[in-house]
Parts: sequence; C-alpha cells; structure tokens
Amino acid sequence: MTGIRTTRRATVLLYLGATMLAIVWLVPVLSAFAISVLPLSRTRTGWWNSGPADLTFGNYARAWEEGLSSYVVNSFIITAGSVALSVLIGSAAAYAFSRLRFRFKEVAFFLLVTTMIVPVQIILIPLLPWFRTLGLTGDLTQYLGIVLVHVAFGAGWAIFMLGGFMSEVPEDILEAARIDGASHVGIYRSIMLPLALPGIASFALIDFVFVWNDLLLALTLLDRDHQPLTVGLANLQAPHLAQEDLVSAGSIMAILPPLLLFALLNRYYVRGLFAGGVKG
Amino acid sequence: VSRTSPRSAVRRRRTAGDGWAPIGFVAPLLLVFLGFYLWPAAQTIASSFFQWGLLRPWSPTDTDTWQFVGVDNYTTVLTDGSFWNAAVNTLIWLVLLPLLVGVFSLGLAILVWFLGRGSWVFRSIFVLPLTISLAAIGVIWGFVYNSDPDIGVFNAILRLVHLDGADLDLGWFSLHLGDWLSDLGHLSLGPLTINLTNLALVMPAFWAFTGFGVITFTAGLTSLPDDLIDSARIDGAGPWQTIRHVILPNLRGPMIVVLVQMVIFALRTFDIVYVMTGGGPAEDTMVLALLLWLQGFLFLDTPQAGEAAAIAVLLSLAMIVGAYPYLRRATRAESR
Repeated sequence: MTGIRTTRRATVLLYLGATMLAIVWLVPVLSAFAISVLPLSRTRTGWWNSGPADLTFGNYARAWEEGLSSYVVNSFIITAGSVALSVLIGSAAAYAFSRLRFRFKEVAFFLLVTTMIVPVQIILIPLLPWFRTLGLTGDLTQYLGIVLVHVAFGAGWAIFMLGGFMSEVPEDILEAARIDGASHVGIYRSIMLPLALPGIASFALIDFVFVWNDLLLALTLLDRDHQPLTVGLANLQAPHLAQEDLVSAGSIMAILPPLLLFALLNRYYVRGLFAGGVKG
Repeated sequence: VSRTSPRSAVRRRRTAGDGWAPIGFVAPLLLVFLGFYLWPAAQTIASSFFQWGLLRPWSPTDTDTWQFVGVDNYTTVLTDGSFWNAAVNTLIWLVLLPLLVGVFSLGLAILVWFLGRGSWVFRSIFVLPLTISLAAIGVIWGFVYNSDPDIGVFNAILRLVHLDGADLDLGWFSLHLGDWLSDLGHLSLGPLTINLTNLALVMPAFWAFTGFGVITFTAGLTSLPDDLIDSARIDGAGPWQTIRHVILPNLRGPMIVVLVQMVIFALRTFDIVYVMTGGGPAEDTMVLALLLWLQGFLFLDTPQAGEAAAIAVLLSLAMIVGAYPYLRRATRAESR
C-alpha cells in the first residue's frame, strides 16, 4: 500500500479503470488465441460468436505436422546454446570487469557496451561471406555461428548486468578469501557465482527472451533447415493464403515458452529489467 | 560501489592491476566479441567504400573483389528518394514510439502503483506483451487489423458503430478507416507527407514496449523514500499534488531510460514492418533498417551491398551520436 490518501469512491474508480484497460490490453492475444482454437469456418463468422462447443486443437496438430516442429527444435537449440555460452563466458568477464584491474579496461568496457546501442545491422551485411570463410555454414556449424553472434551482441548486456550484480558483493568477503590464499578462479567459482546467482538467473532469463525472439539474424544467417520459429512464423504470414488457423496456432506456440518462463520466474525477470532501469 | 580497505588499495597500486589473471577471465568473451562484432563491423565500414553484392562478396583479403568507388555509395544513398522516404518513416517511429510509451506507461505505472492490493495482477498483464517476439506481435496484430470485419476486431467495431469504409479526404489530410495496413491515409505538412499507415505499425510496438516503461517506472516508484510521500500527506497534499510535485520530479531518471531505449528501438525497427507489410504497399511503410536489408540481401543481381553497408554506417552513426551521453554515463557508473 502506498501512503497516498484516496477516497473509497476514487479507489473503486481506479480499479474499474485499470480492469478495463487490462481487458483492452489483452484483446490482441485473446483474439489470436481464439482463432487458434477454432476451426477456420468458425473464425470466418467472427470468433466472438463462437462457443466452447467449437473448441479444437486440430490447428496446433496441423501446424506442428506442417513443419513448425523443426522450427521449434531449432529455436530451442539456438536459444539454449546462446544463453549457456553467454552466461559461461559473460559471467567470467563480468567478474574481471567488476572486481579486477587491468590495462585497457575502460576502453574494452566502452566497446562492449556499444553493442547495447548500435543496431545489429552494422555487422549484418558482411557476416554471411565471413561465415563462409570460417566454414560456419554447415549443418551443425550454422547453429554455432549464430550462437557466437548472439553472444557477441549480448556481450554488452552481459557485462553491464552481471557486472552490476557482482559489484554488489561486499568487498570484505573477497578480501577475507584473498587472505586465506584463494585464487581468482577460486573466488570466482566459490564466492562470486553463488552470491550472484539470482542476478545470473535474471540475465539468463532476459537473454533467453531476447534470443528466442530474434528474427533478423536468423532470417539472414540460417538456411531453411536451421531457422527458428520466428522465421517460420514470418514465412507462414501471407494474408492471401488464408491460413489464419495455422498462423494463429504458430504465433501462440512462439509466445508460450518465454511466457511460461515469465510466469514462473517473474521475480527474476523484473529484477533484471529493474537493474537496467535503475542503473541506466 | 566497492569498499576497498586501505591495505589492499596500497597493495593493488604497487602491482598496477591484477597481473595476468584478468586477461584469462575476459579473453573468451573478448575473442567472440572481436570475431563476431568488431571485425564484421569494421568490414561493414570498409566495404561501404566499394561496390559489391552478395553473389560476389567483398573480401578484405582478396584484392580482386575490390571495386573501389570512394564515397559514391553514400552520395547514391543520400540522393535516393527511397532513402529519404524510409528516413521520414523512421522519423515517425522515432517521434511517436518514445512519446507514446513514455507518457502512457508513466500514467499506467502510477495508476497501478496507487492500487496497492492486486496491483501485481495488473502489472503482469501490462508487462506480458514485452515477452512476445516482435514477429509474433506482427502476426497477432495482423488479426486485429484484418480487413474482414468477421475476423479483425477493429473492423468489427467499425461496423458496429457504422463507420466501416468511412472515408475522409481534405486534400492535406485523408483517412480511410478500415484500410489499416493498406492505405490508412496521409497528412501533408508542407513538403513533408506523413503516411498514416505507419501509425498502424507503431501501435503494436507501443503495445509491446509499454511493459518496459511500466517496469522501469515502477522501479523508480518503489525506490521513492516512504517519508517523502508521508510528509506530503502530512502537509495536506492531495493525490494530484503529490503526483505533480513529489512523484514526477523523482521519476526523471527512469523517464530518460525509457526514452533512450525507445529511441534505440525505433531506429532499428525491422521485425514488425517485415512481418506486417514488408515495407509496402509500394514503399509506404519502408524503414531504414528494412531498406538496407532488402538492398543487401534481395537485390542480388544488382550489387547494392555497398549501399546497404553505407546505410548501416549512417544508421549506427545517428545512434551513437544520439545515445553517446547515455553510454558515457553508463560507462562511468560502472568503472567508478
């Protein structure tokens, strides 16, 4: 509760207003969901006229069979790989940036943080020839290639966010460990990682949403067999094809994983964005 | 905010840094960053002075691919009508998105904050779209805008209030309600013509990013000291006075964060336009990020990758110049 005085009538009005806004806010998702669980014939006569008797999950089954399944698998591979590598090497770098002193630290930090601002288009065009040069266009190496680009582009966020959380660990604890003869690796592993774990969870969650939702990099760098769900969705979206049933089912499938994570780990998600908000 | 004890400060000054250990910690990330950000970015800048296409890509090591054209790509781009058309549309995004998200999410965050009990339910609902990919958002809003009034909610509402197919044409201003994504109308401001279809594309982004504003402003609100509000109440301030004189002045920091992030997003916007209209009809909704992508990756037979690179450089320059103070501040806060 806040300490601001409001009358009883005002409180009721506030709740009423907020409820109406919330309902309006949900209309786009609700309409996509409704269309996804109705047969196409019912959709054509207004989904708002339909009842529970019309419900079907056939659209999902068909969307899954008609190729979305491979997109989903690709999405998970790319996202899991990117988040894992970002956390692994990002947290190590964040430790050095937040707690150690070394040459060119400020220059390096500045360059890394530019990835938060400069649009991804600045690397996009020569990237494909560069991948060919490196041999990152094969079956599995394609995944590796886009993972590395995601890690490079998330580097700014990684050291900014993770470094922020790590600089909150009290210096006294580190000092005590140093006196006990702990090495940097020891301090990083047995003090920093455990204490910064909530922060790492926040970062991992936000990175997951970010990578899962990427369209531009995947569209540009990957061939048809390796593209994630966002690209699959963009390919399905062609109004003249009149396949609202498949498109809506695909869009709900694309929404679900980040949404579930958000629902389960809401606290970490908000904390991560808070960190960015307050620090920035 | 490190609390370094005097002894360790002395020790550190003597050894001038922490030796080689930090290198081991930062090397993996820096190597990936060098190989997949700095090097490609350098290639983009260098290759913007050559003529090339993806069928026969420019290579920094192969001088046979070097067809040097100086600043021709830049002059071509800057004298091209398509570029300025996309620049105007990007400008619409640049003005509208921060404005809409900044004002609306501020009001929403304060409203929800006032509620107290149950506020987390409302906050979750308003933050929810933030987790949805912009590609999916484009698809979902495609349903909302659907021209069939039996599918699209907006056109169903128009039909309900008998405004379907309502056309308004005043010459300098026209509005075709119902043709959300094909031809919503135009607004002429002197030499500048604003295509209203762009507004229909900004709306989904506004819907998505309002959640970011709500979270950021809520963070600012919860970090307000309790006594600040309490003392305002003791002084007899009503809700409006409290908001105006106590709350708003203390939300300047979050407001800057929201505006800067929205400017950054507006400049790089790609997904929603690509999914919803592909920049069309004609080039009515083309934005710079999409234009450069099309030039680089679609026109393979006419080698325009150099021009695409030039647009990418211009776009990044605009971004760096605009956001530099923000970046500077973030860097300083960290290395303190």
